[in-house]
Amino acid sequence: MADSTAQIGETSRFGEESLQGRLRRYRELRLTEEELAVALLTPVVTFLLAVSFYPILDTVWASFHTGYVIQLPGQPQEFVWLENYAKLFSTGSFWNALFVSLFYTFVSVPIELVFGLALALLLQRDFKWKYFAQAAILFPWALPTVINAKIWAWMLDPNYGVISDLLVRVGILSQPFAFLSNPDIALYTMTFITIWKTTSFMTLIMLAGLSNIPEHLYESARMDGASKWRRFRDITLPLLKPTILVALIFRTLPAFQAFGLPFGLTGGGPGEATTTLVLYAQQAAYNNPGPTNGGFALGSAAATVITLLALVIALIYVGTLYEPEVR
Amino acid sequence: MSVIDRGRDLSLEDVAVWELGKRFGFYGSVLAIVLASMFPVLWILVSSLKPPAELFVFPQEYLPYTVTFDGGFRIVQQYPLTLENYARALGQRPVGQYILNSVIVASGTAIIDVILGAMAGYALSRLRFDYKLPVLLIVLFSALLPFISRLIPLYKLAISFQGTPAGALFGLNQYLGLILPYAAFQMPFAVWIFQAYFKQLPDSLEEAGLMDGLSRVGVLFRIILPVSMPAMATTAIIVFIYAWNEFLFALTFMTQDSKRTITVGIALFGGQFNSPWGIISAAVFMSLIPLLLFMFVFQKKIVEGLTAGVGKA
Repeated sequence: MADSTAQIGETSRFGEESLQGRLRRYRELRLTEEELAVALLTPVVTFLLAVSFYPILDTVWASFHTGYVIQLPGQPQEFVWLENYAKLFSTGSFWNALFVSLFYTFVSVPIELVFGLALALLLQRDFKWKYFAQAAILFPWALPTVINAKIWAWMLDPNYGVISDLLVRVGILSQPFAFLSNPDIALYTMTFITIWKTTSFMTLIMLAGLSNIPEHLYESARMDGASKWRRFRDITLPLLKPTILVALIFRTLPAFQAFGLPFGLTGGGPGEATTTLVLYAQQAAYNNPGPTNGGFALGSAAATVITLLALVIALIYVGTLYEPEVR
Repeated sequence: MSVIDRGRDLSLEDVAVWELGKRFGFYGSVLAIVLASMFPVLWILVSSLKPPAELFVFPQEYLPYTVTFDGGFRIVQQYPLTLENYARALGQRPVGQYILNSVIVASGTAIIDVILGAMAGYALSRLRFDYKLPVLLIVLFSALLPFISRLIPLYKLAISFQGTPAGALFGLNQYLGLILPYAAFQMPFAVWIFQAYFKQLPDSLEEAGLMDGLSRVGVLFRIILPVSMPAMATTAIIVFIYAWNEFLFALTFMTQDSKRTITVGIALFGGQFNSPWGIISAAVFMSLIPLLLFMFVFQKKIVEGLTAGVGKA
């Protein structure tokens, strides 16, 4: 047993092993490093190719063809060049949705990052009830987005909303305010809600990152008389950079794909004031059973544009923030 | 764990008014943030316990009882507490069934991702083989692909499978129709957590196992997996929460009311005329109970498990 284990690597590498011997080895689950790697990775790679990569390619394909919500078997799908894209780019709704998504993403994510870091620094200290406080502060992260949307829709109810009630009690408002049905305010309101919710996610990631910074660095800095601010700027921030990159990518891409929040909060309204790109694409695909360029064709074109934009965003982040293993 | 050591141990010279003020400020701000974080859930709880007539009033009442002073302290009831909304939520819609569906889908997703994620994470972090880079790129790249561009093709696929034997596996209103996409979407995350965790383990673990005559498979199952419980717990919890919360696919793939997950069930709760907020609040609060338990029991594990992954981007 023991000696054959030691030989395995050699024999299979040089292909001198007989087929029978190899089969017996497989049956007994004695694999070389490389064979084990193949055995472990094949299911994952197959799975990802089938459920993630095939659909993307199909979406790109569909964006260049006619399409129907329900494609009957045998019904031809014609190649239409860039017609779907031309239609997409000629609608004001698409450009509006692009603006809404970009505003929503690039206003909320930086604010969440700063708040999340601040909360993580606060929670990093030891204090009584620390873990209770931490669970409470991280809870919004676990809250389902669409249920969160429903909760806030009730709290912001134009007639009976508790937020209006609180603001009236402190004297900021004199009567209930319709935060969600005012077209000028609705997008700000929605952005505020996402900041409230996802700051907790940033806190979670930052807490994990902070606990990776070795304590002795702070101790020696303290001995050198470095101020609190200096310690933060010269130790915490630089060492937190990889964490910040992870947090930004993990947060920006989902924010750019916001769907549940506008769906549950406003349905994209009033008008299209809070219609994000994904909500637009979903509505284009499913509420639009047009004869040729409607439905899935337009939805696929929109989805392809979203994919390209998401990849551009990811590339920009990695390009500006990634530093290959400095330590 | 604590790096900035304010207010950790109170020594004599610390007991000054300034220090007390600082501590007060610290606990005050923590309390304020805790309240701001939990307020929506508390408000849902309050709303769910109010009788309908008390719900649609302005100004709103917050607490069911208040203490007033008119010569002596008296407890005054502001509104009666009732479980009526819960009974009506359960009576009107299959909320229990929604929650059960969510549990099945979320657990199935978590199980698949823990198993496949551990396998791939182990291979990528501790085995030497060719083609490591392309595999890593496939995993990373699929993390960046938007969900919406995977929705329409998978939906078309599910429709075309309807009525065929494959429809029982991957079709509309099938649990696997949600579990498989969810598992694929969270797979990069699971792989990332596991490979970061395995990377931290000392090399001597495998060497010792191989010396003792274990095969490589034996090393994986007898030595590596038993010590990777923290990574499994983190992955399982986070993937479970993701699947519990997902909405876009759940909305599209579950068209039968009896197969809907809780997020879709609640999102579509609105009445024909106006929203029955008391009943919605009751349904929402019931749906949050598992998550509240999860967060208050497991959050320490989540942070610990993420720690390995976050450091090395």
